[in-house]
Amino acid sequence: MKKKFIIGGLVLFLAIGYLGFTGFRSSASYYYSVSEFLAQGTSVNGQTVRVNGQVVPGSVEQKTDDLSLKFTIAKDGQSLPVVYRGVVPDSFQPGGDIVIEGSLDAGGVFQAKILMPKCPSKYEPKGATPPTKDITSWQT
Amino acid sequence: MADIGYTALFLALAVSFYSVITYILGGRSRDPVLLASARNGLLAGCGLVSISVAVLIYALVTHNFQIEYVAAYSSRDLSISYLLSALWAGNDGSLLFWAWLLSIFATVTVLQRRNVGKELVPYAAAIIMFTQVFFLILLLFIANPFQKLSYAVNPGLFNYVQIYADGYGLNPLLKNPGMLSHPPMLLAGYVGLTIPFAFAISAMLTRRLGDEWLITIRRWTLIAWLFLGVGNLLGAWWAYVVLGWGGYWAWDPVENASFMPWLVTTAFLHSIMMQRRRGMLKVWNMVLVIIAFALSILGTFLTRSGILSSVHTFAESPLLGTIFLIFIGLILISAFGLLYYRSQDLKSEAEMESLVSRESTFLLNNLLLVGATFAVFVGTFFPVLSEVVRGVKISVGPPFFNQVNTPIFLATILLAGICTLIGWRQTSVKNLRRSFLWPLVLTLIIGIALFLSGIRGWGAMIAFTISSFVLLTILYEWFRGTRTRHRMRAENYLKAFWKLIMANRPRYGGYIVHIGIILLAIGVTGSSLFDVSKEASLKPGESMTIKQYDLLYENTDQFLTQNENITIATISVSNAGKPIGQLAPQKTFYRNSQQWVSKVAIRSTLREDLYIILISSEEDGTAAFKVLVNPLVSWIWMGGIILVLGGLVAFWPEGRQSLAPVRLD
Repeated sequence: MKKKFIIGGLVLFLAIGYLGFTGFRSSASYYYSVSEFLAQGTSVNGQTVRVNGQVVPGSVEQKTDDLSLKFTIAKDGQSLPVVYRGVVPDSFQPGGDIVIEGSLDAGGVFQAKILMPKCPSKYEPKGATPPTKDITSWQT
Repeated sequence: MADIGYTALFLALAVSFYSVITYILGGRSRDPVLLASARNGLLAGCGLVSISVAVLIYALVTHNFQIEYVAAYSSRDLSISYLLSALWAGNDGSLLFWAWLLSIFATVTVLQRRNVGKELVPYAAAIIMFTQVFFLILLLFIANPFQKLSYAVNPGLFNYVQIYADGYGLNPLLKNPGMLSHPPMLLAGYVGLTIPFAFAISAMLTRRLGDEWLITIRRWTLIAWLFLGVGNLLGAWWAYVVLGWGGYWAWDPVENASFMPWLVTTAFLHSIMMQRRRGMLKVWNMVLVIIAFALSILGTFLTRSGILSSVHTFAESPLLGTIFLIFIGLILISAFGLLYYRSQDLKSEAEMESLVSRESTFLLNNLLLVGATFAVFVGTFFPVLSEVVRGVKISVGPPFFNQVNTPIFLATILLAGICTLIGWRQTSVKNLRRSFLWPLVLTLIIGIALFLSGIRGWGAMIAFTISSFVLLTILYEWFRGTRTRHRMRAENYLKAFWKLIMANRPRYGGYIVHIGIILLAIGVTGSSLFDVSKEASLKPGESMTIKQYDLLYENTDQFLTQNENITIATISVSNAGKPIGQLAPQKTFYRNSQQWVSKVAIRSTLREDLYIILISSEEDGTAAFKVLVNPLVSWIWMGGIILVLGGLVAFWPEGRQSLAPVRLD
């Protein structure tokens, strides 16, 4: 009896492992910061990756007629132009931290499929953008 | 003012520490004087933490912006309910809320009248108070909610309050009824898991490893499980109606963090029955309780550590993260060490007798749920794991979680159906045939009906057929039970059914929960396999079509208030040519916090939701929309409500709690 259960458990374990492996292959992506990503050169063109950086204030341009959002993300002095189409999450903010998922096209523009801005600062107002222009020392 | 709160916390730490020591000494010597004193310490701790919570609430309500927390998370324009919710809006406050809930739960635990498990209380209380001490130390030395606002520490906020004198305020995205219920529910779930853990450890320390600890914790586990489940569902609902990307679950690390302890607790609620009925799985039960608690602390930690760079990264002091990790390590090492020393006392009293038995379905269900938890854990922590192993961060997205978990959850649901129809130990073939015949026949008919109604695709067919099978098994079981009562006691069917449920609330509550889960599964299947979406940019007077809906964009209106720019788009909708009214998706820009908040427009029916998001708009009236048709989403919320009802039925006091179910061996 015990043997049957051990075999059953093993089969189950292998099945879950297999599911995990195939799921992993279809959805794993490298996670870089902007500078790490740019250091990869052209080897990452077309590959789906996640890139983390800060939305450069003043770079954001949203167009209603083609539903596009253009912006630049930067980190450690390096920057990357990004194009996205679709619904912009409310927590997307110029100056905010963001993770984007997508791939780099041949022209060096990052085609983002998913925007993952830092959550609506549930626990952290200190990193938020200055509420008004006259206070610039907000970031601590 | 702030000093009173801080001093109360400090005194709470002192009495809690005293209570831990005295409970341990009292537990060893069984000295009633010591135990009474320890209990007084615990009660005083609860009183003191309550005082500091009251102080913080008072400070929030009276806008005492000298306290940094109050200045950072509230403002003068907040209504009273959102002022109260600011209590858990920030890291420091939510830790205080944690400690407060724990002290209340501890008080209930020691004041509960109990026939069983009295001997377990001293050590269990010591462990609860030890956890309390941990949180109080965090509050006093690292995350002090009573920190005074000073220029030196936070010049930005200081200047802001000096100039405007009305507080920085709650993030507009959090101004939603979801904020009032979702975080406290989840926190209550996390905190509630402390009690089962404490009693498990106490049972091992006292070597009282029979049924008593399981009887003592059943309802605590159930309520913690219910809080976690409701908290997650409310979060999903909040995301769906407010955050407005059209979905309700994104496998985000923080969502996963609260989902994992729920899964493990689900497994535990089932395996408890194995031990009480058959004296099996004793070590396994201990393992589950320990893991559930460790995961609840991990969840509390993940929301504030920032080790997982994803959507919810809250850069907090790394010190806080380190201390949490040390605490989790301490829990795991000491609990598993103790379990190892007691493993001789936790031998199983019975063997599995047959593959086709309720035992084996329970065992399989446990393995599947723990397997799912493991998969979610690996997926969530993959960026950290891969960085440690290979030096590169690799993250896995929702497809991973969906692919692994969909088959596991479908199998788990199927087991719930099979389990309903077969008995403990062994079941004869004749019996099996009799039990399975009608549910299977009806399922087959439903399956054919589904196919004829135009549903194609393996995934949907399997998911819907399994769901209907399980639903039928439960209804069939209720029908058989009611009929038996009707025949034996000459009660009418309605009364017989009512009495049937009332006579064994834990069991029938469980069945009701299963029905809730099935509705959830149907909703998730429908909305993830058959959703349709379309994006378009329209000028006033232009229209678009999605499925059978025609949407005519009328115009946008702009409103300016003191703090907000509101844009409202009006869309006339007709369903298959018949006008069904107007929908008005909105977008509001909060000037103070430079924050957009969308308000999606949803027309919800049992069949499907029409869901419209206003993406952006121009001065000339051009507006961009995303429109989704999400089938069966309302089934998810209905399933959630039924799940809660079932949980409450199972939770309701039995009145004859001390009677253990009949042992079958």
